[in-house]
Amino acid sequence: MKQTLLLLMLLLTGVVAGLQTGSAQRYYVTENQTVEFVSEAPLERIHAHSEKLSGILDLQTRKFLFQVPMESFYGFNSPLQREHFNENYMESDQYPKARFDGKIIEEIDFSKNGTHRIRAKGKLYIHGMERRITVPCKLTINDETMEVSSSFSVQLSHYGIKIPQVVSQKLSEVIDVQTQITMRPKNE
Amino acid sequence: MRYKIYALLIITQLAFLQPALGQDLEKLLEEETQDMEEQVITQATFKTTRIVNGQSIENASPKELIFVVSHHFGEVSTGLYDFFGVDYSNIRLGFEYGLNDRIAVGIGRSSFNKYYDVSAKVKLLQQQKGKRQVPLSVSYFGSAAATAIRYEDPERQEDWTARLNYVHQLLIARKMSSKLSLQLSPVLVHSNMAPTSRSPNDVWALGTGGRYKLTNWVSLNAEYFYTFNPEDEQNHFNSFSAGVDLDTGGHIFQLYFTNSSGMIEKLFISGNNGDWLQGDFRFGFNITRVFSFGKE
Repeated sequence: MKQTLLLLMLLLTGVVAGLQTGSAQRYYVTENQTVEFVSEAPLERIHAHSEKLSGILDLQTRKFLFQVPMESFYGFNSPLQREHFNENYMESDQYPKARFDGKIIEEIDFSKNGTHRIRAKGKLYIHGMERRITVPCKLTINDETMEVSSSFSVQLSHYGIKIPQVVSQKLSEVIDVQTQITMRPKNE
Repeated sequence: MRYKIYALLIITQLAFLQPALGQDLEKLLEEETQDMEEQVITQATFKTTRIVNGQSIENASPKELIFVVSHHFGEVSTGLYDFFGVDYSNIRLGFEYGLNDRIAVGIGRSSFNKYYDVSAKVKLLQQQKGKRQVPLSVSYFGSAAATAIRYEDPERQEDWTARLNYVHQLLIARKMSSKLSLQLSPVLVHSNMAPTSRSPNDVWALGTGGRYKLTNWVSLNAEYFYTFNPEDEQNHFNSFSAGVDLDTGGHIFQLYFTNSSGMIEKLFISGNNGDWLQGDFRFGFNITRVFSFGKE
């Protein structure tokens, strides 16, 4: 009798744990997103964007992971410039994705609507090199969706990207990056 | 028996509990994005529209104008008196324009035999990865050229079409890795009037070419055209050229040695090549400047 009861309890807790995670919207994923960057150099302004950013946020642990394929960036001043971006600077064949993974520092209540100023701290991988950064973001919770926007800058030399002397007037050493992301609960 | 049941239960329980403990974000994200895998067309199989003298798989991009200045100097074997050939040069000026994603057209004028040429290059297949894997790029290159040189005998009367020749070429290329690209190019050169009565009107050749990137800005290029039935069997040498591509951001400099005097197919495939072993090769360069008239 005792054993049967124990068995039953074990079974129940298992089912409850399963159900609980099934119903709670624990993971949020990107639904609508753009990431863009600007290089402001004395002789040229270069601007490109991608809509192929994807990411996931775990509300329980506040951990996140975002990534974007380098070859999905468009909007350069010319096709040749896009080719240079992929072939000569980012080496997209070898390093196809840029990635940011880490954790939100602030503990926030994701169940209530509101706007929060948060800091996302983590490792940014570009061009096969990683660096720890903290990105200030604005996070807006609106019922089932979440809006995250941020802007930060990337110094090319930190990621092993060299600018040849001949184009130093056309390409900035510091690139400004902006993201605008809408997230929704992940489908189970 | 009891133990087995317990063990089984604990395992199933762990399976249920596992999501509560947190799954690997990377795996979850992969799950989410697996259907969105992007189709990526291979870029920059070659740096520019020519490997050396011959056409590469690359086209001028849409709304892009390419200006190519090509120089071939005299043969190196002429020695110091002619400064190893640099005292002589023949040039070709060319423009290429990308009409759309697939078609580019070009015009050119060569000083050698005063040739005017028009051409079109059409992308038939593009190497790409993603859901649909395409291992090769294939393009068709067609050109017509007319020589404007006067006949030696001023009394000679020929129909103007006798001055024309046509080129049909298939370009088959693959970017093997980020460093190495290879190309195979079967080609037919048809001349309306052959130089002698014994020369063929249709000259067939098979071209091979490649590029190896030394750095992100410099590559080694080489090409070889095997001509099956040259116009002048006795004095024919196959065209072989090798050099480097230097990409400076806006200009591409191609510096090379070649045994061919001309820059269009009629000239380097049908004949007009020197013997490498006798030092009958020349220094040459192409300077390519790209102008863009539309945002990418």
